Amino acid sequence: MMSRSLRLMLLGGAAMVATGTAHAQSGSTATAAGTEVSNTATVTYTVNGASQTTTSNTAKFVVDRKVDFTVITDQTGATQVNLSQQAAVTKFKVTNHTNGIQDFWLDPDQTTLSVGILTGTDDFDISSMKVFVDSNNNGVYDADVDTQTYIDELAPEASVAVFIVGNIPSTVGIHEAQVSLHVIAAAGGASGTKGAILIPTDLSLGNADNVVDIVFADDDSDGLLNLGDVARNGQGRAYASYVIGTQNVALNVTKSALVLSDGVNLVNPKALPGATVQYCLLVHNGTALTGANGVVLTDIVPTNTTYVPGSISVGLPGGTCVLLGTTEDDDADDAAEIDGYTANYNTGTKTVTANVGTVAGLASVAVAFKVTIN
Amino acid sequence: MARTLITALIAAAAVGTPAVAAQGPLQVASKIFVEQRALDKAGAVSTSLAPATRAVPGDHVVFVLAYRNTGAQPLSDIVLDNPVPGAITYRAPGAGSAAPLLSVDGKTYGPLAQLRVPTAGGNSRAATSNDVRHIRWRIATVPAGGQGQLAFKAVLK
Repeated sequence: MMSRSLRLMLLGGAAMVATGTAHAQSGSTATAAGTEVSNTATVTYTVNGASQTTTSNTAKFVVDRKVDFTVITDQTGATQVNLSQQAAVTKFKVTNHTNGIQDFWLDPDQTTLSVGILTGTDDFDISSMKVFVDSNNNGVYDADVDTQTYIDELAPEASVAVFIVGNIPSTVGIHEAQVSLHVIAAAGGASGTKGAILIPTDLSLGNADNVVDIVFADDDSDGLLNLGDVARNGQGRAYASYVIGTQNVALNVTKSALVLSDGVNLVNPKALPGATVQYCLLVHNGTALTGANGVVLTDIVPTNTTYVPGSISVGLPGGTCVLLGTTEDDDADDAAEIDGYTANYNTGTKTVTANVGTVAGLASVAVAFKVTIN
Repeated sequence: MARTLITALIAAAAVGTPAVAAQGPLQVASKIFVEQRALDKAGAVSTSLAPATRAVPGDHVVFVLAYRNTGAQPLSDIVLDNPVPGAITYRAPGAGSAAPLLSVDGKTYGPLAQLRVPTAGGNSRAATSNDVRHIRWRIATVPAGGQGQLAFKAVLK
């Protein structure tokens, strides 16, 4: 009898040691929802010197789902954008603190609240606003790769980046657009399927012993600002903004003149009557990353000089002024011009006009034309 | 009685122990409770125990063993062994309960301060309550009809 009870105890003990080891391996992560915790005691005692053994009943419960997650803005300051910029990105991070795998619905919002979280005032909305998950986990929005619009099967204590992507209007004078990412906990467990939004189990329901209850434990993500999120609602929200970084560019124009020939001197021609002079207009955008659109250069041909017909050339700077530029015609009908630049010469006002279009950030465009000295 | 036996058999099978459960005069009931904190009208935190129907990681749970001598003879040398269930971390003796002996390996039992945990390289370190995997109570005698309750507090990992 004694030996049998000893064996029982050892077997029981060995089984529980194995269980303990298995859990030790899972480290600090919370016990997974659905895990059954059971407790049984083994008892030995003697009655009038005879050993007896017994076990208690097994008390058990099922670990419930503690839905907890955070959503934060995962960028420093606002996203700097330019007018008409396409697919401008704000970055967020969602971390699952639930003791189980979760899906999350993602809902991007235009925000017009002056929220106190962000500085500045919202005065425009981004267009074509979409939300994408960083599917390849590289922390950067990749238009062709990051196409998932909900978070699928996020493991406990795992994080994933989420991007709000939108286009910036071309409206002059706009400054800031505030957006927010609204995240809603949803049922996980089916890969590739957007789970249903979780509903917490009614606290007053009885007899929920052996089912996995859903308990919301998420924080109030906007705290004392009271912007809509409350604690334990299975939802979270974070804010970010787009700011038109540059309203002006440092555009400057440098004009220079070069005597090409004077009909007398083969080298070092002088500005004699009858000499041909090349004027060079060099326009430079000194602001990085921001292009200047619709740049138009006009220049009146000086008195006592005569414009050389068909001498307008536009292109990249180099050589004496324009390197490998394209020669523009003098008429105002630009339909036939396909090089991206147009130009004309108005004989009445003696004005040279060159439409050089967009000058990219830190780029330069040169315009050359020739006159002869009367 | 037959039903109790069946229940005990199922219970024994569930934890992987051999399905032999002798029914003797000593009846032991295992129960699990969850601590629930509530604010009373004065704003003070009060703690109450509720059956463990709702338990999430981080919750404080209390394991209770209630024993009763249903026989006519006094019992002696009672040893109650309670392995700490997986996913549970031992914290302290329950309120009003005798302090148990603790073990990290199921072999050496003693107060926490005397327990050591082997580490790599043949060394060992002092055990903490997180290391406790077995709990044992010893009771010298229980008179006929006598009963009592033992408990320990723990945290659901």
